[in-house]
Amino acid sequence: MKNNIFRTKFDTATIVLIPACIGINFIGKFFAQALKLPLWLDSIGTCIAACLGGPVIGGISGALNNIIYGLVMGDSISIIYALSSLFIGFFVGVMARSGFMQTFPKALITSLVAALAAIVVSTPLNIIFWGGQTGNIWGDAVFAAAQAASIPLWLSSFFDEVIVDVPDKIVTLILVFIIVKSLPEKLTSLYAGSDEIERLDQ
Amino acid sequence: MKSISLYRDNGTWLCSVHPFTKLMYITFAILVPLFIHSLWAYAALIILDIAILISGKILKRSRPLIIFSLTIIVTIFIIKGLFDENNVSKLFSIGPIIFYKEGLMKALRTDAVIINMLLSFAAFVLTTRPSDLTEELEKHGLPPRLCYVITSVFNIIPQMMGTVNTIMDAQKSRGMETEGKLSVRIKAFIPLITPVVSSSLINTRERAIALEVRGFGSRSKRSFVHSWKKHRGDKAITIMLFAAIILSALWRIFIWLS
Amino acid sequence: MAFIEIENLRYRYPSSEHFALDGISLQIEKGSFLGIIGRNGAGKSTLASAIAGLVPQFYKGAYGGRVLVDSLDASRTPVSTLSSKVGLVFQNPFNQLSGAADNVYDEICFGMQNFAIDRDEMIRRADQVLSLMGMTEYKDRNPFDLSGGQMQRVALSSVLVMEPDVIILDEPTSQLDPQGSEEVFQAVDKLRERGITVIMIEQKIDKIAKYSDHILLLENGKTIGYGTPEELFANYDTTRYGVLPPAVVQIADALSFRKSNETLPVLEQDAIPLMSEHIIFTEARHTREEATDAIMRAENLSFHYNEGKDVLSSISLSFDSRPTAIIGQNGAGKTTLAKLLKGLLKPSEGRIFFKDIDTKNRTAASIAPDIGYVFQNPDDQIFKPKVLDEVMFGPLNIGMGEAKAKEQAMKALEMVRLETTLERNPYDLDLHERKMVALASVIAMSPSVIIFDEPTIAQDDDGKQMMRDVIAELAKEGKLVISILHDMDLVASSFDRVIAMAHGTVIDDGAPEEVFSHSETLKRAGLEEPHVSSLARKLGSNDTILTVAEFLSLARKV
Repeated sequence: MKNNIFRTKFDTATIVLIPACIGINFIGKFFAQALKLPLWLDSIGTCIAACLGGPVIGGISGALNNIIYGLVMGDSISIIYALSSLFIGFFVGVMARSGFMQTFPKALITSLVAALAAIVVSTPLNIIFWGGQTGNIWGDAVFAAAQAASIPLWLSSFFDEVIVDVPDKIVTLILVFIIVKSLPEKLTSLYAGSDEIERLDQ
Repeated sequence: MKSISLYRDNGTWLCSVHPFTKLMYITFAILVPLFIHSLWAYAALIILDIAILISGKILKRSRPLIIFSLTIIVTIFIIKGLFDENNVSKLFSIGPIIFYKEGLMKALRTDAVIINMLLSFAAFVLTTRPSDLTEELEKHGLPPRLCYVITSVFNIIPQMMGTVNTIMDAQKSRGMETEGKLSVRIKAFIPLITPVVSSSLINTRERAIALEVRGFGSRSKRSFVHSWKKHRGDKAITIMLFAAIILSALWRIFIWLS
Repeated sequence: MAFIEIENLRYRYPSSEHFALDGISLQIEKGSFLGIIGRNGAGKSTLASAIAGLVPQFYKGAYGGRVLVDSLDASRTPVSTLSSKVGLVFQNPFNQLSGAADNVYDEICFGMQNFAIDRDEMIRRADQVLSLMGMTEYKDRNPFDLSGGQMQRVALSSVLVMEPDVIILDEPTSQLDPQGSEEVFQAVDKLRERGITVIMIEQKIDKIAKYSDHILLLENGKTIGYGTPEELFANYDTTRYGVLPPAVVQIADALSFRKSNETLPVLEQDAIPLMSEHIIFTEARHTREEATDAIMRAENLSFHYNEGKDVLSSISLSFDSRPTAIIGQNGAGKTTLAKLLKGLLKPSEGRIFFKDIDTKNRTAASIAPDIGYVFQNPDDQIFKPKVLDEVMFGPLNIGMGEAKAKEQAMKALEMVRLETTLERNPYDLDLHERKMVALASVIAMSPSVIIFDEPTIAQDDDGKQMMRDVIAELAKEGKLVISILHDMDLVASSFDRVIAMAHGTVIDDGAPEEVFSHSETLKRAGLEEPHVSSLARKLGSNDTILTVAEFLSLARKV
């Protein structure tokens, strides 16, 4: 079973999936801004890659996503969070392979796992690099309030990150659930299907 | 089609320097002040960053990159200055709001790290053609499949953005509003994002076929049609930067030991 | 032994119960040109994939029989190895770009790099193929910025540089406009001249008839017929298998003109010597609907994206209930005009009236109950996991109740014969069916005006017939149908009014028989008259004959 969860194909179909998913991250972020939604929605593609290709592909897509943004689009801060994206992709992949993207309630559990992964990895990064902030107005307001109330730095920073990540990951994984469910089988079988060719002659 | 890459060839020396040299500079710019651990080191580095940007004629184009992170730069000052746990000595006050020296110094350090990083990356991002970077990486041993992923992102995203406009039109044509209350906008999100996601995933199947029939699956070593024209400064600059990193690391170790 | 040997080939896709290929045997000689015809779903593309090794290696599934390419077993030789022998070009020009290159030159070299071809050799081949395909001037352009026809030539070039023995063209022009198609067919001409083995799948039957040495007719994964074009059309009623023979064949067959060897003439130049002097035409009497009151009006319409560069300039048109086709080359301004009518773009100058009310203050969404617009690519709108829900989305948006919306959706789906797919996932349907889902989703809103953008792209002859029925049905309900079209045969058979555009202006406007008789304007718009009109004219008809049926009703054999 364990073996099965981490099974990863590196064939052409899977390789081509990764840039498409990084593109989807970009589009998600674009729509969230265009429709002025109070969320990031920039990890939809990472989660789709994780659902289709498994934890390793999910992790790779997440990490590459941030590295590419940093190296080409000048958002150098995002490179630091490659680590968070990597873990989000990885854990969503583990959950999906364990059957936690099959039903809506299970997808919600996956979303909490994704949020937890993001929080646990990002909080130390926030503290090391920016003294605890996330750069999100709502989250940082909570951070400021917590600091004013003399709550320890790591806990304030943790609250900041919770405010930012939990709603975002819930919405993201609900979307991913809807989208992946509606993908045609001839596509999903490329990633999940058997590698065997049945020979009719023997 | 509008490229998502910020690279423009403006003919300056910075564009013809090898991507690895510039990556080495980023490493240098981040590590050296970290080792020296003095605000003056950051100040020196930021001045050096700016000097490079000016000589590469890209100072103006790097401004948006800084502005993008301006909110966090400013809020760090405010939050640290007001609320930092080590705050004791009052520096100044605006009405009832008191700023403390300890917090502000900490904020100054954090912001110096951010600004230095943003500027040194700007020198790289604005002057390096993405496909040059990946091709050079591949020549030096990065797996071709990984390089393919990186390059194709740049070519696919503009294409997807083109689709986005058509999708907006198509759904509007079916009576869907995209402006108004938050609930209207949230409702619009699924009809807009699902087609672009589904169709780009479905397109990957054909793209995979197109790659297969062009030998992408072959495991043999690839050849290259381009060859990089070496900049005469590449080697010297790289050695100097590397030496500076080592020296500052030694300095740090020396401090620790003594 | 033939270069390609196919023996009792059987294949089933994973998660499918029926055989996509069911016992195909075939031999293809080096240097020959094979055309493969049949309706959508007959197994044509699957056969092509089997020759390239993608079936079964990429698609998996169940496989039986044998395909040998130059004595290599295509089911076991890695696709990448086989690709130096077999090149494949398929329908969608954009999806064939590797995505690995930001200029045409690098795109073309991509395959050669994978094969580790020596740098000097790469440059030699790339330059040679670029000039052969007429793409040299585009070599520094971003391939994603090119037109469809140019992209398809890039795809062909990047296959040609690998110097394969066989090139498979799987409906290479089905998503292109006439000019783009013509560019691709000219490239195909060059392949023929160079003696490359070509296998071409194509719905444009006149092209298949013109190029092929042999034609293979498929249905349900089985071979129905095989022979030279003359033999095949003489011996098989291809219409039964969803393929309308060339107009020349239909006419020769109906009027019993046979060649000396008892086969039917296939090309116009073969038919004319047989038929001329033996046909007389009675005079045509076109009865057209009288123009009614205007439903939509455009007054002095101009549009530009950038100041000073008009895409449309001072267009005044009045649309009544006659089905209206808009024809013209890409860039003539057809889509811009259609988008202005729909309110997706706002005019830079001039006004648009729907039923005498100016539409300038209405959003595209609020106009939806009155004016519908069916986009070219159905995948730009489909988002529901069930066909029925997808079709009900529009009606619900414009405020119809659940029950009414469902009733409307059912009616629309019946019209496009998809009433059995209500619960299916649209993305599990084929492209031509998805196009019909998109069409139904607009018809279900029951707008007074429906605008189609290239409705017949990717449709086979069955699909085109269905389009004719849909247009007739909508017209009967009193709706105004406006369609952007490149398919002149469909224009001739289904529309009462034709508007020809060029360079952002209207250059002709009238009944099809009028517009198609103005050869000068057609030339200016870069268009060709329907095949049957051309044949009739060359045989001495004074009228512009629009359809085979009309030809046969007017022509008498003597």
